[in-house]
Amino acid sequence: MKLAHALIAKSMAELILVAALAVSFYLAAFPPSIHGWGEARPHGIAGWAVNHHKPWARLQVQLFIDGKFEASTMAYRSRPDVVAAGWSKDEWHGYEFEALATPAPGRHEARVYALNSSRHGAQQTLQMVGDPIWFDVDDQGIWHPLPDHELLTRRGQ
Amino acid sequence: MTSRVPDTNTKSDQALAGWEIASVVISCLIAEWVVLAFAGNSKGVLAIPVTLALAFMVFSHRARGESLRDIGFRLDNFVAATRLLLLPTVLTGALMLLFVWLLRGPEFRLAPFRLRLLTFPLWALFQQYALQGFINRRAQLALGRGLKSILAVSLVFSLVHLPNPLLAGLTLIGGMLWSAVYQRTPNLFALALSHATLSLLLALSLPTNLLYNLRVGLKYFG
Repeated sequence: MKLAHALIAKSMAELILVAALAVSFYLAAFPPSIHGWGEARPHGIAGWAVNHHKPWARLQVQLFIDGKFEASTMAYRSRPDVVAAGWSKDEWHGYEFEALATPAPGRHEARVYALNSSRHGAQQTLQMVGDPIWFDVDDQGIWHPLPDHELLTRRGQ
Repeated sequence: MTSRVPDTNTKSDQALAGWEIASVVISCLIAEWVVLAFAGNSKGVLAIPVTLALAFMVFSHRARGESLRDIGFRLDNFVAATRLLLLPTVLTGALMLLFVWLLRGPEFRLAPFRLRLLTFPLWALFQQYALQGFINRRAQLALGRGLKSILAVSLVFSLVHLPNPLLAGLTLIGGMLWSAVYQRTPNLFALALSHATLSLLLALSLPTNLLYNLRVGLKYFG
């Protein structure tokens, strides 16, 4: 084998190593097996979150409103509809964020993130579950989900 | 006294020597930056780029017909190389101690000796082999003997010690000294002795906040 061939072979091996490391890191830090959903309720946000690779584990979820951390809770409430739809193996994957400080009247965006731990706890990452949740707060402090046509317009942006 | 550096007649061979240097440097950077970022302190993963670089260097020596003696693993010129290195090593060491003494004043004292420091000579020999026995020889093929190749080697040595500013600066100076001596009298054992002596002095005398435990690459930030 010529020297140039050895150089190319070594470069290819290193390329594969770096790519494999990057992909495995991504899969460990942001596992695609985490799924979930959330929606605006009159006084908060509710939804579900599940990790298909660990179907019996309860996920910790964190709520951010307009980019600011609001609250953290465990997704262990009953959601039989999630089992019925085939998203989980048991019903205990629901979460609810209630008794939150009411945002000022107007339009807001909530995001729910699942806390994922990897490398034996040395790394913790937040992974958004579902889509951003848009809602309006009226003068009485009631939260209203955006109408479907406005949601579609937002998601298209 | 100088060793035989394989002749290079063509531009393509000079370019190939340049690519060989780049390839080994990239392996170092992968080990220092990518492995730590993606795989943490996994020694198994760290061993992959190190093994690839070592295997390539051995293959390259064989392909170019270089013997261990050519590379600098020899004793016949050990005394001559040590003589060349003695004064600059002692001077650099004294300057380092003076700098630390000025910096720390009455608080100056040597750090307690740790067992880990016993590995310094072996680690220094390995570094000098890679730096001089391989990179310096390929730099001479690509750029010829003299200032250009000496500068290239010391820049490479400094690059792999980033982002530790103190180490990057010191290795730039040390790299120039050791590369110049290697080109005159290629003996890796004498170079390793000088390297280990200065590294030990650094580790024992400089405060941790300046030296960051000799950390380089992504580990520097950790």
